[in-house]
Amino acid sequence: MVNKQEILDVLSTIPDPEMPISITDLGLIEDIAIEGDAVHITVLPTFIGCFALPVIAENIETKLSELNKVESVEVSFTNDPPWSIDRITDAGRASLAEHGISVPEHGSICHSETSSPPVELRISAVLCPWCKSTETALTSPFGPTRCKSIHFCNTCRQPFERMKKV
Amino acid sequence: MCELDQNLQTPMVELLLSLADDKLFLGHRNSDWTGIAPILEADIAFSSLAQDDIAHASAFYELIGTVNDKNSDQIAFGRTCNEYRCADIVTKSDNFNWANAIARQLYCNTFDYHRLARLSKSNWSPLSALSKRILAEQTIHVDHISTWIQHLGNGNSDSKARLQEALNTFAPYAVMLFEEPEGLQELHDASILQNDSDFYTDWKSTIDVILNSAGVTCTCELTNTKGGRSGKHDEDFVRSLAELQEVFSTDPLAAW
Repeated sequence: MVNKQEILDVLSTIPDPEMPISITDLGLIEDIAIEGDAVHITVLPTFIGCFALPVIAENIETKLSELNKVESVEVSFTNDPPWSIDRITDAGRASLAEHGISVPEHGSICHSETSSPPVELRISAVLCPWCKSTETALTSPFGPTRCKSIHFCNTCRQPFERMKKV
Repeated sequence: MCELDQNLQTPMVELLLSLADDKLFLGHRNSDWTGIAPILEADIAFSSLAQDDIAHASAFYELIGTVNDKNSDQIAFGRTCNEYRCADIVTKSDNFNWANAIARQLYCNTFDYHRLARLSKSNWSPLSALSKRILAEQTIHVDHISTWIQHLGNGNSDSKARLQEALNTFAPYAVMLFEEPEGLQELHDASILQNDSDFYTDWKSTIDVILNSAGVTCTCELTNTKGGRSGKHDEDFVRSLAELQEVFSTDPLAAW
């Protein structure tokens, strides 16, 4: 029977379709269930409306089916527990930073449980991933993918992307 | 708690339909701005808001499907006009006036923020888990629309006047969001939902903070009128529904 580590090793070679990071470093894998030669992978979407989800499911199915002891692969998505940026590994953060994608610090999730108005979320200083300046401004909370916002660095005059704090 | 009592299923479906239908139609109307919003970032943002809202609707339709055993596409597209439960502010035409789009968005986004905050405290775990997840995304929507309110309100006298006019036009429609879905009290009585503060007061204080920062106001008053939540819709809704169902009525098995 195939073991969990063998599955994980394969999953860690699958890149996210929209970012320079593996799906394991992004923290998408919630559960791996093995029953004989059948494998079931539970995946957490970063954002509910992410277009990449079917591609991720297909890549997982294709790659795991190549393993000798695997006959069938099933992929399902769940929002419980919710994905958050805290699930991104340190290696993943480093890889994103190398490509100019900033990631909020661990535990800095902005959404609060209280019902106070969520106004002025943008006041905290965002570090430029290129030159480390804090003289940056939010261009738009909606970027090229559902999980990223667009920023501009006033020091090195470069745009950059940032994972949203969820 | 995952299983829902038989007698609570109908009220739960009513509640979830009001939420999902609001999001489906608001997303649909926001997608009108794709390609023509005033600036590129606003264009991307409104398209993203639309994508988010339609995805949220889809997730709630799937949750409804776990209760009434129906296919989510069938629920989303396969009903007649009086079976939809959205409040008609979501389909009220903005006449391609940007201030109108922003005013409608403010009212709906802040309403959804508070609605999701309340539902995330539900003791029916499938509902609380999904609401919590979507609340995190909804927070970003509210933040974004607050910025636009400030842009327009603090821009110049023309932009401020246009925003104020749009806020006034949409205010009577905003209160329609508060029409209670049928059977809501039963969910409270069964402790599926908790009532720890006044929904309308929470919402009004949120929009007042945002509008204050832009020097504009919203005057509105709750009414008891039966409307969208009871299946009574206006002409703008009927037009939106026809547009939305165009593909489905041609080919019910088409994938979206």
